[in-house]
Amino acid sequence: MAERVFITGLGMITAIGDNVADNLRSLRAQKSGLDFTRQLDTIYKAVLPVAEVKHTTPALREMAGVAGKEGYTRTALLGLIAMQEALQHAGLGSLEDESTGFINASTVGGMCDTENVYFDIADPEKTGDFVKYIDTLDCADCTQQIAEVVGINGPMTTISTACSSSANALMYGARLIKAGLVRRVICGGTEALTRFTLNGFNSLKNIDKRPCRPFDNDRNGLNLGEGAAYLVLESESLVKERNATVLAALDGYANTNEAFHPTAPSPDGDGAYAAMKTAMEMGGCTPADIQYVNVHGTATLSNDVAEGMALQRLFGENVPKFSSTKPFTGHTLAAAGGIEAIYAVLAISHQIIFPNLHFKDKMQELNITPETQLLEPYPVRHVLSNSFGFGGNNASLLISKYEG
Amino acid sequence: MKGKCYIQGMAAITPQHTFEGDLSQPLVVTHGNMLSCVEPDYRSFIAPNSLRRMTRVLKMGLAASLKCLQDSGIAVPGAIVTGTGKGSLQDTERFIKEIRDYEEKALNPTPFIQSTYNAVNGLIALQQKCTQYNNTFVHRGFSFEHALLDSMLLLHEGTRDVLAGAFDEITPEHFFIKGRIGHWKKEVISNDALYEHVSPGTISGEGAIFFLLAPAATAQSYAQIGGLEMLYKPSPGKLKTALPQFLQKNGLQVTDIDLVLTGANADSNHAHYYEVLNDLTHCPQLPFKHLSGDYETAGAFALWLAGQMLKQQQIPSQWFPMLQQQPARLRNILIYNHFFGEQHTFMLVQAV
Amino acid sequence: MEELKQKLKVQIIEALNLQDTRPEDIDDNAPLFGDGLGLDSIDSLELMVLLERQYQIKVEDPREGRKILQSVQSMAEFIQSKQQPA
Repeated sequence: MAERVFITGLGMITAIGDNVADNLRSLRAQKSGLDFTRQLDTIYKAVLPVAEVKHTTPALREMAGVAGKEGYTRTALLGLIAMQEALQHAGLGSLEDESTGFINASTVGGMCDTENVYFDIADPEKTGDFVKYIDTLDCADCTQQIAEVVGINGPMTTISTACSSSANALMYGARLIKAGLVRRVICGGTEALTRFTLNGFNSLKNIDKRPCRPFDNDRNGLNLGEGAAYLVLESESLVKERNATVLAALDGYANTNEAFHPTAPSPDGDGAYAAMKTAMEMGGCTPADIQYVNVHGTATLSNDVAEGMALQRLFGENVPKFSSTKPFTGHTLAAAGGIEAIYAVLAISHQIIFPNLHFKDKMQELNITPETQLLEPYPVRHVLSNSFGFGGNNASLLISKYEG
Repeated sequence: MKGKCYIQGMAAITPQHTFEGDLSQPLVVTHGNMLSCVEPDYRSFIAPNSLRRMTRVLKMGLAASLKCLQDSGIAVPGAIVTGTGKGSLQDTERFIKEIRDYEEKALNPTPFIQSTYNAVNGLIALQQKCTQYNNTFVHRGFSFEHALLDSMLLLHEGTRDVLAGAFDEITPEHFFIKGRIGHWKKEVISNDALYEHVSPGTISGEGAIFFLLAPAATAQSYAQIGGLEMLYKPSPGKLKTALPQFLQKNGLQVTDIDLVLTGANADSNHAHYYEVLNDLTHCPQLPFKHLSGDYETAGAFALWLAGQMLKQQQIPSQWFPMLQQQPARLRNILIYNHFFGEQHTFMLVQAV
Repeated sequence: MEELKQKLKVQIIEALNLQDTRPEDIDDNAPLFGDGLGLDSIDSLELMVLLERQYQIKVEDPREGRKILQSVQSMAEFIQSKQQPA
């Protein structure tokens, strides 16, 4: 009989806070992390708003406890900080007591550092210290760096499915637990801002020069962000054994593929609809049981139509409160699923609905509008959290209040 | 985790003539340390309108996956799960260069889109209209292995069948880059003489290899994947205890193994790990990286080889000149491989 | 105009790698998207890159882009309108 999967620890760092408590404070204060970049060397420095973590990379090294040590990319440092908080929050001083897995996610890994020295690396005429960035480019590097610092001793890997990556990481971790292969897995993702991704999304004409406005008729694209987030997942038996505090349950999840276009969803939101419905039903919920949907809500022209259509199809006349928290954190690509899963847990544990900032006008195509007010207290028992990526990859998580 | 895993279909694009599954093909000898795939005519698999945009590894991945589906007789798999170490290097390299050459203005979106690691998965799903589970692992020598583990979980959870695969390419630029951190031999050799040159570094390779996995055997099954274990940076001591434990967990002893396929690649930096196989003196131990070169997802090639050998009950001796005698029969094949000493895998592949 | 349209056809074929298409296969007024040449939204972005690199005309909004890129004729007219002396 597959065990239930519980969430026992949270750790994060984003543009709106260096840890979970600071993130919650900013969400309550409705304070967005969008601003111009201080770290990136780009012609869009003073043009495109981004949600950057408000620390230099050397400062992050201090915060992660690896000051003076070489070889950690910004991506790895963000992840290490979030991981350390998650472990501490779960009351895990050391991982020696139990085989602990780590399922990480990233889209461009250490590119933040490598892109600055790429042409030197590729040039036979050049030699220098930059050679150290060769091994730190790929997605596995940050995972292994983090794992080695904290002593991960169980299954370890990295998932990369664009914007749905860390939601898929949570799903995979939960399934490893349910299959009885491991009883504890730390899952989530990490992503740093890069010239590569900034220019990539700009080439898709998917970036708004203004702060993003999800689900607004006048929306014009996303703002990129950076950050890291991890959730500690444990089986019911392990939780009982060590008397751990359960924050919420991960009772449902689904991964579907749009199979429509390399980057755009089907206009009716078929993939989003299927993902949400499956996740919900897996957790034994009906539409009436859901109080909040943390939507993917990137504010791109295509995502919000498709996702909105899917919500209307799934919930009919009774679409629950929904909001995109990306106006706070930006779109953190692979880390988004993890960050928003944590916000879903916070919605349950603090009985809050977070607002969708920058919204003014209902979209022509939809009947629904997002929640623009911070609602507290609000009875929240079940939250759906959506993350949709390139390649039509749709992930939806059902996070539920633990009644035990 | 209960539940079996059978290979119902396979296809491989590799530096050998593997695409038609014909094990009588001659050994492809490359003079040089960078092996390149023998590529099929993609136009028989992919429509011109899709093909025009696709870079090399995308074509390789999509064609191998479609050939595998053809081989299995299944058009729409129940899920698609892949692993890749480096994704589309051509697209990543091109986009980085564009950023520089055009000073961040008027950049082509296509290379950016295609540089995402799950681009191949998206193309397969799109082509076959597969709306089911779709995942991509990017973790060096564990990329394909976790794709396999994820697939096994899916079958255990009731998925009807899973298309599991791996793809990696090497470009001249990336070959140079990895050479700077000592991956390749300094001396230029031929792959057929690889094992005569034990020295620092190895030779590079690439491949796109797909499997259709199902929970039950049929007459057309190639083999069963009996067991899979991954170890991260294990000490030689840890490996020595892990191997018999792995076999025991799968109901076998060392003497039940009929053949070992090893990732031994003449790299003196990491050769010592293969001493874990010293006790298996009763059966042939065949290295495979002279055929494929070394790359993150080379384990998929070893699995393909094992599947072919078990189905045909034959080891292609022209590909393995070091083989002294064909085993009387092939029931249990052990694969042991590692990627530059970091990610180690034991895999048990069994006759059906 | 005729010369511009001919040049555009060659550039479109090159930009989108339409290997099996010759300039004479593209009718001036045939729809480029949907059923016509079968181009999609990524091609639309690629053609906007072409406009910027070859003709120094920047189109910010992809929705505006789709209108301009309906056919070779509409593209040529748009380019000419941007190149008129003030």
